[in-house]
Amino acid sequence: MNRPALASALQAERLIGRVLTGVTYLAVGLLLIGVALLIAAGISPTSGGPVLDLGRVPSDLIALRPAGFLWLGLLAVIAAPILRVSVALVAYARDDDRLMVGVALSILLVIAIAIGSAVVSTV
Amino acid sequence: MIGSGIAAGVFGSLLGLGGGILIVPLLTLGFGLPLREAVGVSLVSVMMTSSAAAGVYLERHVANLRLGMTLELFTAIGALAGGSVAFLLDERLLSFLFALLLAYVALTMIQARSRETAIGAADTPDVDPSTAAVQPPMPTVLDRLGGEGYRVRNLGRGILGAVGAGVASALLGIGGGIIKVPLMHLAMGVPLRVATATSNLMIGITAAASSVIYLIHGGIDPYVAGPTGIGVFVGATAGSRLGHRVDLRFLRLLFVVVLGYTAFEMLLRAVG
Repeated sequence: MNRPALASALQAERLIGRVLTGVTYLAVGLLLIGVALLIAAGISPTSGGPVLDLGRVPSDLIALRPAGFLWLGLLAVIAAPILRVSVALVAYARDDDRLMVGVALSILLVIAIAIGSAVVSTV
Repeated sequence: MIGSGIAAGVFGSLLGLGGGILIVPLLTLGFGLPLREAVGVSLVSVMMTSSAAAGVYLERHVANLRLGMTLELFTAIGALAGGSVAFLLDERLLSFLFALLLAYVALTMIQARSRETAIGAADTPDVDPSTAAVQPPMPTVLDRLGGEGYRVRNLGRGILGAVGAGVASALLGIGGGIIKVPLMHLAMGVPLRVATATSNLMIGITAAASSVIYLIHGGIDPYVAGPTGIGVFVGATAGSRLGHRVDLRFLRLLFVVVLGYTAFEMLLRAVG
């Protein structure tokens, strides 16, 4: 790898690392608030939480219900690595690295298939 | 539940394993959760700690992003298959598979001393002097996946192993480092430090592929996942700072006993 390409790759890795760390800490913060609200409300963790309903998350957040913060935190945990691959895709496309662009696109395709197949099987 | 998560995180971090190997038995045997639900919670918890660590590894340029992304494409395919099959399998079969995994990890821990020696011997950069001096005009895929001072080999074997690690991760709720680290280090010639960091990086996408399946199937309970995930995160962070102050030989022995007992309990669950 030539010097400008190496510098660009290292810069991209640093950016991807920061994105991953940032989103993970955001998720931890949301989960901490959710757990604090869970304890404050005296809800037992084994009492059975609500299933994910994306439409309810905003109203749960506004009403300071633990489920809203917990679901948003869990979604952020799952989104963090997907976001990492998306940032890498952009960085590799900018460097015209076709092999890694193909790899990144394929990973996102597998994730999309996982979501699609799970949705279809529950309908 | 937070305390259990902390214990799993501390143990996992001190012994170089993800917390997943302990979270699933803790939640099923300790809190009576169905195995599949425990696996879903474990996947999310393992993702939290691995993403935080992987971010730091990337910023410090320890993890090999190209190799990690190439292999995680195949761990994700394995996880997609495993996550889809997990909801069709009998819980007793899953318990049996988990018991086998625990027994395997306990055995590898017993053999750790001799294996460490072997790993130490193999932990040299894989540079072929005959090819190092001559630069090929067009770098091959393997050349492009290597890093500073080492060249990746046996990509085919790596891909097969990655698919297997993905299936195991999705079925049993583990990060799969127990498969990926030896695979990259011993079979593919990646230095141990890089293999560990890259394995950590790969856990995120592997677990994301299967956890979305668990999530959509209602296999993740936020009231359980929140406290457990926070506990594992805190425990793993504390464990990484305690590492040099703890007698790892005693801890390893204790861990083998715990794993053996848990494997026995899971086996009892499997036979009903």
